[in-house]
Amino acid sequence: MEPVIRVTNLEQKIGRKLLFKGISFEVQPGECFGIFGTRGAGKTSLVHILAGIDRFKSGQVQILGLNVNKTEKFKRSLGLVTQESSLFRDMTVVENLDFIAALKKASRAAVREMIERFQLQEFLSKPVTSLDIGVLQRVSLACALLNQPKLLLLDEMIKDIDLFSRNLILKELEEFLAAGGTCVSTFSNFAVSQSFSKVAWLEGGEMTIYDPEAAQAEWNRQENYYAEQSGRYDD
Amino acid sequence: MMIRQCLAIMQRELFYMWRDKSLRTILLVGPLLGLLLMAGVYSSQRIENISTAIVDLDKSSASSQVITDLKNSQNLQVVAHFDTFSQLEESIKRGEVIVGVVIPENYGKDIALQRQTKVAVLIDGMNIIYATNASSAVLTVTRTLGAQVGIQTLIAKGIQPNQAQEAYQSIAFPEEAWFNPTANYAYFLVLAFALNVWQQCCTLASCMTIIGENGRRSWYQIRTSGISLFKLFFCKSLVHIGILLLTVLPVYFLAFVVFKLPLACGWSSFLLFTLIFILALHGLGTMMSSLSPNAVNASRYGMIIALPSFLLSGFTWPLQAMPQWLQHVVWILPQTWFFQGVSFLTFKNPGWGFMSHYFWALGLMAVLFYSVAALRLMVRDFPHKG
Amino acid sequence: MIDVKQILNIAHYEIMRIFRERVLLAILFIVPLLYASMFGLVYVSAILQHVPLGIVDLDHSQESRAVVSAFENTPNFKVITQVSTYADLEAGMKNGLVRAGVVIPADYSQKLAQHQLTQISTVYDGSNLIYGFNTRKYFQQVLNTFSAEHTAAYLSGLGMTKQEIVNVMDTVSYSLEVWYNPTFSYATFIYMGLVLMILQQIGLLGIGLTVTREKEENSWLQFLGAAVPQWKIFIGKALPYFIANFFNFGFLMWIAARFVNVKIEGSVGLILLLGLLFDLIIVSVGFTVSVYSPNSLLVTRYLMLISVPIFVASGYSWPSTHIPAVINTLLRTMPYTWMAEGFRLLTVKNLGFDFIADKIMVLILMAAATTFFALTFPKRRKPPAQIGLAVNSALDYPNKNF
Repeated sequence: MEPVIRVTNLEQKIGRKLLFKGISFEVQPGECFGIFGTRGAGKTSLVHILAGIDRFKSGQVQILGLNVNKTEKFKRSLGLVTQESSLFRDMTVVENLDFIAALKKASRAAVREMIERFQLQEFLSKPVTSLDIGVLQRVSLACALLNQPKLLLLDEMIKDIDLFSRNLILKELEEFLAAGGTCVSTFSNFAVSQSFSKVAWLEGGEMTIYDPEAAQAEWNRQENYYAEQSGRYDD
Repeated sequence: MMIRQCLAIMQRELFYMWRDKSLRTILLVGPLLGLLLMAGVYSSQRIENISTAIVDLDKSSASSQVITDLKNSQNLQVVAHFDTFSQLEESIKRGEVIVGVVIPENYGKDIALQRQTKVAVLIDGMNIIYATNASSAVLTVTRTLGAQVGIQTLIAKGIQPNQAQEAYQSIAFPEEAWFNPTANYAYFLVLAFALNVWQQCCTLASCMTIIGENGRRSWYQIRTSGISLFKLFFCKSLVHIGILLLTVLPVYFLAFVVFKLPLACGWSSFLLFTLIFILALHGLGTMMSSLSPNAVNASRYGMIIALPSFLLSGFTWPLQAMPQWLQHVVWILPQTWFFQGVSFLTFKNPGWGFMSHYFWALGLMAVLFYSVAALRLMVRDFPHKG
Repeated sequence: MIDVKQILNIAHYEIMRIFRERVLLAILFIVPLLYASMFGLVYVSAILQHVPLGIVDLDHSQESRAVVSAFENTPNFKVITQVSTYADLEAGMKNGLVRAGVVIPADYSQKLAQHQLTQISTVYDGSNLIYGFNTRKYFQQVLNTFSAEHTAAYLSGLGMTKQEIVNVMDTVSYSLEVWYNPTFSYATFIYMGLVLMILQQIGLLGIGLTVTREKEENSWLQFLGAAVPQWKIFIGKALPYFIANFFNFGFLMWIAARFVNVKIEGSVGLILLLGLLFDLIIVSVGFTVSVYSPNSLLVTRYLMLISVPIFVASGYSWPSTHIPAVINTLLRTMPYTWMAEGFRLLTVKNLGFDFIADKIMVLILMAAATTFFALTFPKRRKPPAQIGLAVNSALDYPNKNF
């Protein structure tokens, strides 16, 4: 089957800093692809490139077989949740859903469905700036799913949010994957690494792909290494 | 210790202003570019060579005399001769000529026969600067011409030549332009327009004073350090005022030394006056800065006042031509005091007795604006919880 | 089939944002009205009259009284009686008490009686040439009349009859016709030029922040990340501003004609066409600036500073025939230059299409170019980066709410 995402020799420069030194990877349909990296490693930049938002220096990126530089069509099957909230701050929850549905050409029925699924009824007329982070993430994910995307790009989806929202979001993601959707998600807290089918480790401009267990092993190895180096352990 | 704190604040403020690239560009380049542009625009200094067209339907020696007089007139320049009135009309419509003179048929004959004849002068009134200059030029010419013809007619009637001359030319009307003897438009407008651009740039800088500090997260550092806010903003303001004064110096150098624009009052008075205006203007910007939740709005508020202020100041269209009540209201703007003062100081040097009001007014405004800003800061001491 | 619904949705939410940001609303509707009213009040008297005049009559004779009367009897001057000596005149001119002066020498009547040449000196304040040149014109009018009366009196003294005098003096009469603005109304001259500049500035400042605001809130990503084409984004976002600008165009023109007595004639169709083209250029330029500028503060700062230079150098007040060619060429790249000139030719000179066809052509070309750029902006952004220690130049500016 054709990969949902195919990245070849991607190079990116932010300001004067070379962020990616030619990374290549593929994401197959139905996969839950995790991207790990500490702050500044380039997770958000990578997600923005995949979403067709940012220009990049060189390389090729194909989403659903389409070259992201040549067309906008792939965006119809895309859903994006950004790390820094990209909802409209001067609008209420329902206005955000409505407007983003209009931008994505999703129907009114889809909006109603999202309100149901993410249990947003009591928040509809509240401005998004007044929401707790948990509700905010639910709204963001709801907006991303309005156009029934085939690919979900999530940037730091699960943060320090309340458990009810966390549970709701995880349930939706599971249903999305079960229905055949593909998910790419960045994370910086290694505790969640086991939920992914593959873990891509971004460090120093390079990407290394691991199975989740191998990724965990690498994490443990590095933790011990640096602890020994700095003399934190007394052995 | 206190000096060290002040110096540290001032040094940091210098860096802050320098690193604000657009502000730096605006302050360094704006006023100079403004002056150079204005000097370029008004480089011809006077409205001379006003294009004039003549329709000579007579073509006699008498009409040639008219044409010669027109050609010799200082401000008019004959550029075209048309055969018909409608050609002239078309040309005026197109803006190709500003003045048109129509000498009727039989002009020469009528004069010789002492029959009445009329020369029509048309002026394109669309541009008043042109039209006013043109009509002055024309009125001068017609008076001269009228006198010539009248004298000839009287002599033809048998009046003694010296009496004929006396009838028309016994009184001369010399005119003098005081303060600007050559009625030079560049002297009138270049400095003022350049200063208008400069005060707008200063307004933009001043509007950053308070919001530039309490609109950043580093405000927390400042608040927890325990430093007196008064000291902080006083030191910041010193730097701002110093910089604003520095930005106007090259403008003044170019204006007074290179372009030799009039400076009747001398450097020290003028610089002092500029300084007190900077205080008032900076105070106004600082006040806006304290009243706004963000830098964009602070800039907007400041500029909403700065933009129309030049026209309201009565520097060009005079105050006395405005409605009575408006004449009084415009004095609440520091720019009115400044531009009126610039006009008086650079051209007339009316002396300290007269100018002291201006210094007092601007000083008082500075005090008022800074006080409002200080009050506002004290009342809303802590950053807005958003 | 063009999907109008999406465009209208974008427009609808843009309108909502405008109404929710009160400062923006004030800028779009209240500031133009405020400025137009203020400037209207400044120029409503339109004609400079009652120029304060100091008369120094050193002769105090019947003849000199005649001169004084000539100046007292015209509304163009207002005789300031405090000024009676030359020293008074000098002081008065210096402190602005008077703006013009007449000096009648002490031997005025004596010289006249002795058939010797004498003079009446006039002085005017050159520090303000609007006063200056108008005063000069008024002087010439008064003196021409006075001179004629003097000549007539002299000839009468020679024994000529009234009819004879008239025949001699009116052998050649000069009719001075001022076309298009016969009353020398400053309002007609300058007001609409100011109004058009207000419209340009408000227009630019309104739409100029539409994309930078979204960028600062990160919501611009919603537009970039959705499949909606850029031309729809432009039209949707620009539509409310386009309508607001056009409303202001008509409204301010009405104020000009109705309250400030500005002469506005000419073909309504052409006036509307000019307005539409200018409006289109402004919204497309403003939108493009907003797309490419990193933040709202930069847009606000730079846009606000351009008004004075463009107005002064455009040739609208100081004529372009007396401006160096290099500046003229530069200003011809500004839509304002063409719009203001075209508008004035249309409404003050009441000329037809032939005379402004070139202005309209240029405006159409400009509109086509600017709209093209606005319709085709790139939907891939350069990732924002903080370069070195620069402040206020990337995505943030001082804001208490961030």
